[in-house]
Amino acid sequence: MTDPAFLGVAEAAELIRTKSLSPVEYAEALIARVEQHDGALNAFLRFTPDIALADARRAETEIMAGGWRGPMHGVPYGLKDIIDYAGLPTTGHSAILKDNLVSSDAVVTRKLRAAGGVFMGKLSTHEFALGGPCFDLPWPPARNPWNRDHFCGGSSSGSGTATAAGFLPVAIGTDTGGSIRNPASMCGVAGMKPTYGTVSRRGVFPLAYSLDHVGPLTRTVRDNAIVLNLIAGYDPHDPGSAVQPGWDCEALLGRGVEGVRIGVIRHFYTEDMTADPEMSAGIEQALAQLVALGAVVREVKTQPLQQYAACNRTLLMAEAYAVHEKWLRERPQDYGELTRGRLFPGAFVSGAEYVNAMRMRVRLADGFHRLFDDVDVIVTASAHDPACRIDDPQAVEYTYARQARAPFNLTGSPALAVPTGFSTGGLPLGMQIVGRPHGEAMVYRVGEAYEAATGWAQRRPPLPV
Amino acid sequence: MTQEAVPEDIRKLARALGLDRLSESDLQQFAKAARVAETRRSVLQTGALVPSDEPAHVYRPR
Repeated sequence: MTDPAFLGVAEAAELIRTKSLSPVEYAEALIARVEQHDGALNAFLRFTPDIALADARRAETEIMAGGWRGPMHGVPYGLKDIIDYAGLPTTGHSAILKDNLVSSDAVVTRKLRAAGGVFMGKLSTHEFALGGPCFDLPWPPARNPWNRDHFCGGSSSGSGTATAAGFLPVAIGTDTGGSIRNPASMCGVAGMKPTYGTVSRRGVFPLAYSLDHVGPLTRTVRDNAIVLNLIAGYDPHDPGSAVQPGWDCEALLGRGVEGVRIGVIRHFYTEDMTADPEMSAGIEQALAQLVALGAVVREVKTQPLQQYAACNRTLLMAEAYAVHEKWLRERPQDYGELTRGRLFPGAFVSGAEYVNAMRMRVRLADGFHRLFDDVDVIVTASAHDPACRIDDPQAVEYTYARQARAPFNLTGSPALAVPTGFSTGGLPLGMQIVGRPHGEAMVYRVGEAYEAATGWAQRRPPLPV
Repeated sequence: MTQEAVPEDIRKLARALGLDRLSESDLQQFAKAARVAETRRSVLQTGALVPSDEPAHVYRPR
């Protein structure tokens, strides 16, 4: 049997269903691993082994009595700490909310609990999913399991670190300008930002209402699809909720990519903003691999990356400022310095600028969606650089904006980050696979076929002790 | 590192926005944010929009 630390959801579920794996022993193995290694990685902001063991014992009793509920029954998970779990604080990794005890679950939490998942704890984030990595917050920032001196991406930092480190097979993150896909790319795991509205945002602390998405990080693409199918669904109380009848993101898994039409937006990483050569080479090698598997690749073009980025940031800054305005007035010193600096630009976005950015958003999205007249998915960069050192603020600031993820928060498209190998420094490289709205099944189909052909998902980080 | 003096109009704007508890270094950040916002404003090409271009997020009665 695979080391319990690196069992995926699908593999663990089958072992648990057939009573070959005890959920209690599985949870105990992961708890021991977190206790041994997380002191060096800070993936968990609030580790909850007591809850995990209680959940695991309940799952084991139910399963032994013939009551297996499905693939998450008895399987550990964690939540980015802007997602509510009843009875625990949701802190946003901030002094502002450090005592913010919540009394009800987020919708995504409720679904995971109903599925019998084993809750391991709350995971580190950038402050309010925006300011990080910071060293002036009540909790330290998560670090990269491939090299703890390096940034693990954000803002779902702990989610990426915990998944890659074998602390959990699945973590739930959020993504407003790339915050699921960035840690996925920096930590070498799969991270999906689904179509806008696919997973309810109710019970998730907002960063920017019109751009916020909830989604899973896992070590394999198949696991990602399994979890997304479970947490997706229409929520009449989330004004952005939108799931099509019959939607099934696992529907095309295992079909390979023979004849699949792949568009590549190269200008995002070769002209608009030149990526690190190793990152670009990783994408080109991935495209060659997909061609070898039978896909048809052609180059496509859209508006310059800077247009998408400026539109995303205008909306994000204005909406985030609206969320934080009261606290910025009353207790500005309770924010980390970096967070304050990233919130302040929202004060300078006028009403007309905000509306015009929303109008530009339609133009950009319409143009982007027309690309799918000729292709089934689009491949482009995720991060433009491998992870920089976490203690180098200038490098963090430089690489923070060097990414091609924000366009798909604007368009609302499903976008999956997958690993494409490793840099000469041993840090993960990655790319994105982007689909039509509600086209997660095709995105996962391509991602799974690529992953199966490469074996990147089988590489394990050398953890510090 | 030497810090630039915070322009008076930036101080006035911060006060007008109710941000009257900012330290001097916070005000430095606030002044920098004004420059960041100006740069972003110059990038986004909204000049081609016509009046019939509707915004993306519209009210839907429930």
